[in-house]
Amino acid sequence: MALTTARMKFYIDAKRCIECGGCEVACKNENNVPQGIARIRVVTVNEGQPGETNIAVPCMHCSKAPCVAVCPVDALYTRPDGIVHVNKETCIGCGYCLYACPFGAPQFPKGEPFGARGVMDKCTYCAGGPDEPFSEKERRFYGSNRIAEGKLPMCASVCSTKALVAGDAEEVAKVVRARAVARGSGVGAWGWETAYPTGPRL
Amino acid sequence: MAGLAQVFGFGAMTNHQNDIRNSRSVMIIGMNPAENHPISMQHILTAKEVNRAVIISVDPRFTKTSAFANIYCRLRSGTDIPFIYGLINIILANGWEDKKMVNERTYDFEALKAEVAKFDAATVADITGVSKEQLFQVAKAMADNRPGTVIWAMGGTQHSNGTAVVRTYCHLQLVLGNMGRPGGGCDVFRGHDSIQGVTDIGGGPETLPGYYGIAETAWKHWSKVWDVPYEWMLSRFKSKEMMEKPGFTVARWYEGVLLDPKELGQDTNIKAVFFMGHSTNSMSQMDRVKRALEKVELIVDFDPFVTNTAVLPDRTDGIYVMPAATNYEQWCSSTNTNRDLQWRQRVVDPVFEARTDLAILIDLAERLGFKKQFIKNMKGSWKGVPASMKEVKALPEQTIDDVLREVNMGTLSIGYIGQTPERLKRQQQWAHVFDIKTKKAVGGPVDGEQWGLPWPCWHDKHPGTSILYRTDIPVAQGGSGFRALWGPKAPDGQTMLAAEGSAPAGGPNAGYPAQKEYATDLTRGAIKEAMAEGRHPYGNGRARFNSWNIPDPVPTHREPIHSPRPDLIAKWPTYDDVKEHYRVPQPYKSMQKPEWAKQYPIVLTTGRIVELEGGSAAERADWWLVELNPEMYVEIHPKLANDHGIKNGDWVWIESPEDMDGKPSRIKVKAKVTKRVGPDTVFLPYHWGGVFEGKSLASKYPEGTAPYSVGESANTVTNYGYDRVTQMQETKTGLCRIKKA
Repeated sequence: MALTTARMKFYIDAKRCIECGGCEVACKNENNVPQGIARIRVVTVNEGQPGETNIAVPCMHCSKAPCVAVCPVDALYTRPDGIVHVNKETCIGCGYCLYACPFGAPQFPKGEPFGARGVMDKCTYCAGGPDEPFSEKERRFYGSNRIAEGKLPMCASVCSTKALVAGDAEEVAKVVRARAVARGSGVGAWGWETAYPTGPRL
Repeated sequence: MAGLAQVFGFGAMTNHQNDIRNSRSVMIIGMNPAENHPISMQHILTAKEVNRAVIISVDPRFTKTSAFANIYCRLRSGTDIPFIYGLINIILANGWEDKKMVNERTYDFEALKAEVAKFDAATVADITGVSKEQLFQVAKAMADNRPGTVIWAMGGTQHSNGTAVVRTYCHLQLVLGNMGRPGGGCDVFRGHDSIQGVTDIGGGPETLPGYYGIAETAWKHWSKVWDVPYEWMLSRFKSKEMMEKPGFTVARWYEGVLLDPKELGQDTNIKAVFFMGHSTNSMSQMDRVKRALEKVELIVDFDPFVTNTAVLPDRTDGIYVMPAATNYEQWCSSTNTNRDLQWRQRVVDPVFEARTDLAILIDLAERLGFKKQFIKNMKGSWKGVPASMKEVKALPEQTIDDVLREVNMGTLSIGYIGQTPERLKRQQQWAHVFDIKTKKAVGGPVDGEQWGLPWPCWHDKHPGTSILYRTDIPVAQGGSGFRALWGPKAPDGQTMLAAEGSAPAGGPNAGYPAQKEYATDLTRGAIKEAMAEGRHPYGNGRARFNSWNIPDPVPTHREPIHSPRPDLIAKWPTYDDVKEHYRVPQPYKSMQKPEWAKQYPIVLTTGRIVELEGGSAAERADWWLVELNPEMYVEIHPKLANDHGIKNGDWVWIESPEDMDGKPSRIKVKAKVTKRVGPDTVFLPYHWGGVFEGKSLASKYPEGTAPYSVGESANTVTNYGYDRVTQMQETKTGLCRIKKA
């Protein structure tokens, strides 16, 4: 086990995600997320056709998070363990983060066609918010704080195929490495067509 | 289940889900685990990644599972037998069959050979729509990559010849030599929580617990276990004949209400119906179900949620909705798809007025006047049951122990013996010491045990049998041959016992019949004797290619009752009409009308989606799940949609041919235009209820109990059709036409 500070990461394996929606439902239930807000959502491309691929997309808690860089009031910040949080009492709802984020993680209340944006909500890595851990205020503003309880985020805990892996970056990297080694390259697990897209197998 | 039992001797998944990690090829036919068994995909994808296993998906729909397949075959619904026979034909032509398995452990291979010869690749392509090249590719992939498993579910069984379809899956695995070895097997995935347990415990109308049947010997055995005189048991029935006559099935009970008693296998109609955790929107012929619910005198719906049953019939009285406790509110043991038992802990006391299953059943027995007989067995009375069950919501944990002990006592036939409450609870404490690939415990007090003590588990030191029919290990460690269920000789005089050299290690190295009276000797002496000699109590027999005692002894192709191919109906017609099957008449040929293909040209198939389960009274009452999949829909191929002027999201009518009394049905649903289905097929998920033929029933729910989402039930338009052996409904293949609403 590494003795340095852990940096928390998500890894989402598009070769494993089956779009069961377990992460979406578990997240909402755990954090009491209202309808219309998706702190994580499964995106499917080529639905119903060869090449159909699914990937769950939460906040990726970027190392150099563009949302943190553009936030004009410093409501967004990166914790020492790498988790990116928003302080809902500072947020002015300008929506810059929405445009900066490549993953569509920042969520704004919906309801009216031309309504104000309101305060931003996003995946907290199930780590609560800037308030006192386990306080009523934290729970109401941000949801649960499983990290403070020593648990993994709810989405990763329930993932049926272990497509969504969370934890210390070093541990996550080991999982990624093991899978890459097992799958190999070339005509291995993913087929001739992947390795040699230009020609059929003779 | 019946198909498996007719080939191997037991109606159960032969290997286990984790064992798929040992497979080098995985054929998934008639099932969609990515939606219906999501956790099992962990094992399937591990096989793909680590073993480089070939994943073959065979389905009329390109499912979420097909997305992970190396080979996808789009099969016309209901043509599984030609497809499998096409594969066996290619395997035999190339000499890829496992000769040792076929010669030493099977019966009447010649009969199978004669039948498969009719299915050359061109014939198969014409019937199924799978090309010659693709068929060869699949056969070669299965032959080159052994061991391989074949996995199926309701896509294989919900046909008028479902039992025959399942038998051909088994035959393929026998021919490939994939039986009785890790990574192989016939892995049918059951579709509900503990449904294997329900089958084992005699949920069907033709057997007492443990597949003993309902003949006199079976009643005598269980009367002894329950410590009640056989004569008392007999006195509860109208006659001995009715006592030994299979009852109605869940698929067609309503005919017992609707039909004239002269047409029934009993002289009165059904007067009351008691639902216990079963939804009506998963039964086909919804219109007839509705009319039966209107005619029957009493309806009791015992469920944690108010179901479709309560709102479907147009009646104002005689429906009793009773709140049942969920599995979080009661202790229980449950048996999963691969025969594993697991102890469940209660999390909370039953909430509000909810009562546990056992509490309500004992109360019912009390009110009907046989509680005393109900709660005792040959070792005494169950402890912890109060004198009066009225107002009792739940019983203490030891009562549940007593139930399982009674199961252990009596269910000798399939070895439900060693799964004692103590052992199950100990496994729960030591769950972390079991290996994920072999399910075997390493060290600790459970050392050597298989997770879940899968049956047969012959005594309280036996590790359980994770993989059935495995001869490379001794019986004491979970080895076994095929069950010698059909005596030592077949009617044609051939032996039904395995050949010399094919037997579980450590015992006599040849076939042998079942130990005499092993299933009824309550002292377990017969079982002990067999075990001491290294013999398996149920014998070492042969698997059958020819099941002489059921219709179509060697399975042959029969077109679905509602087939889109009149030319093939002429060549491969359905069965002759049956006068009485589970107490109701069951027409086949007279319901198969070739002209329907013209009036109703589109194949209708149904299934499940991942967000919802079964009748979904619970799931549709869950805010988060409804948000993910808010309304009922039909999947239509872009070409079919465009030909009908239907755009994605349009309302459409689905109309189906008439049922038994000549009435057509229709539903109004939204179109989802997608290439998942082919241009000749539409797909309906069957989870919705609360709307009937365009009319919402939402206002009929008791106040505050309506689910967030109501919708048309697919089973309003699924067609008439039932399996020839089990009476399973033919809801995977039907006909329909569509119209823009």
